[in-house]
Amino acid sequence: MRMNSTLSLLLLAAPLAFMLAFFVTPFGIVAADSVNDGKGALTWAHYAKALGEAYYWDTLFYTFRMSLLVVLFSFLIGYPLAYFIVRQVRSRLVRSLLYIVVITPLFTSNIVRSFGWMVLLGRRGLVNDGLVASGLVDAPLPLLYGTFSIVLGLTYIMTPFIVLTVASVLQGIDRSYEEAARDLGATPWAAFTKVTFPLSLPGVVAGSLIVFTLSVSAYVTPSILSGGRQNVTSMLIFQQYGVVLNFQFGAALAIVLLATTLLLVMGYLFALNRSRRLA
Amino acid sequence: MNGSRSVPKAGASLLSLYALLAVVFFVLPLAVIVGTSFTTTSYLKFPPEGFTLQWYAKFLADASYMKSMALSAGLAGSATVTAAILGVPVALVIARGDIPGRAAISALFLSPLILPPIVVGAALLQFGAMTGIARSFLALFVGHVVLIIPYVIRTTLASLAHFNPSLEEAAQDLGATRFETFFLVTLPLIRSGVISGSLFAFIISWINVEISIFNTTADLMPIPVKLFNYIQYNVDPMIAAVSATTIYIAVAVVLLLDRLVGIENAAANR
Repeated sequence: MRMNSTLSLLLLAAPLAFMLAFFVTPFGIVAADSVNDGKGALTWAHYAKALGEAYYWDTLFYTFRMSLLVVLFSFLIGYPLAYFIVRQVRSRLVRSLLYIVVITPLFTSNIVRSFGWMVLLGRRGLVNDGLVASGLVDAPLPLLYGTFSIVLGLTYIMTPFIVLTVASVLQGIDRSYEEAARDLGATPWAAFTKVTFPLSLPGVVAGSLIVFTLSVSAYVTPSILSGGRQNVTSMLIFQQYGVVLNFQFGAALAIVLLATTLLLVMGYLFALNRSRRLA
Repeated sequence: MNGSRSVPKAGASLLSLYALLAVVFFVLPLAVIVGTSFTTTSYLKFPPEGFTLQWYAKFLADASYMKSMALSAGLAGSATVTAAILGVPVALVIARGDIPGRAAISALFLSPLILPPIVVGAALLQFGAMTGIARSFLALFVGHVVLIIPYVIRTTLASLAHFNPSLEEAAQDLGATRFETFFLVTLPLIRSGVISGSLFAFIISWINVEISIFNTTADLMPIPVKLFNYIQYNVDPMIAAVSATTIYIAVAVVLLLDRLVGIENAAANR
């Protein structure tokens, strides 16, 4: 049933009004505040500070580097699992169980999931106990409260997104392409790398974009698993709003984070487009 | 079609082993929380020592936790109903409407998915400070609706995409009004999309920290914020029991999703 424009506008009126009032306006206030000197006059000083001081740059750079590692590891864990679920599992029940295993963490708060890793990675945690008992190390390793635990905790949180996006793309790829490659003499590995994997790239791209943007803006997991010893940009933004109460500078940091993330995502899509055209 | 053809034997066992390790990776952090919540020691221990329900009793007897749970449930419930009422018409217009700028409308409503939630939360705090709704249930409520509305719209759009519009035309040819057509034909057909989107929306609100944290007070604290504030300074088996309870709720919602629309469908249309 096509809808004429009167009906469309009627249906849109309330939702649009809601979004304008409680989403667009608040963001407008943040944007305006980022160039406000606190007394109502225009200033670029907050941006000069956010972009000029090494501390903020270093933190931003750390945030992006950490997020790239999370993309890489969640892909390495998630892609094979997605492939396994879609291509190798025969029983419906097993497939459903695997989806339940993947989705349940997604439905549990980041705090609880990070808490789990705190317990696992502590000095007397299961991981260190296992390492010491097996004789691989003599003394417990300091696994918590550093880049290792932050990346691991975030990878745990992000992997379901890769599994779900890749699985839904793999489901749509006709198996007969791979079989044709095999019939023409390709090894199984060649059939995968030359046929199935390239066809599944849209899922990889979509999944990695979700994971990257979510990791860049993650707040809870880095806060818990850094033990306060490492900052990421979202923690600095929270400090400005919640502790220092410098809303204007917090706004500038938020806009810098948003703008650089968007630039990186656009650069990535652009590079992808180019390489596809060249290929 | 021969399965051992598409994935050869050695590769298949290697992949199975890898998948098994991935499953352990997924389950372990949650299993550890559930396990330690039953320990008789006063500190966290996994595997647990003995078995006790005292930490659950302690948590259930603590009125402040019950209050936070009730607040979170009320917040997630009211925000989900509102997001569904606002979101389903938006999806219908994006899919079927005859107006310009549908791409822009869709971008506006889906953008909370990619914006840093901490920034959305901060923006709402500032907005709330200016309009006088800061640190109130209303501020939490509108923030959560904004956050979860994309989930309803996205799954509803996905279910609208594979459904045949001629069914609606047939209903109208047979004399049904627009409203009858919507409630008797369209809604039942997109039902699974609306349900799975709403369940996702509910859970996203239920577990949110970033938006809530700016607008909470000691008396108005959703359970994830309460957990977050506690865990940063102190961990003990009681907090493991609270966390484990949220895991049981997550499992219950996943099973409900499987029951209502099938977990595979939900996963594909997420």
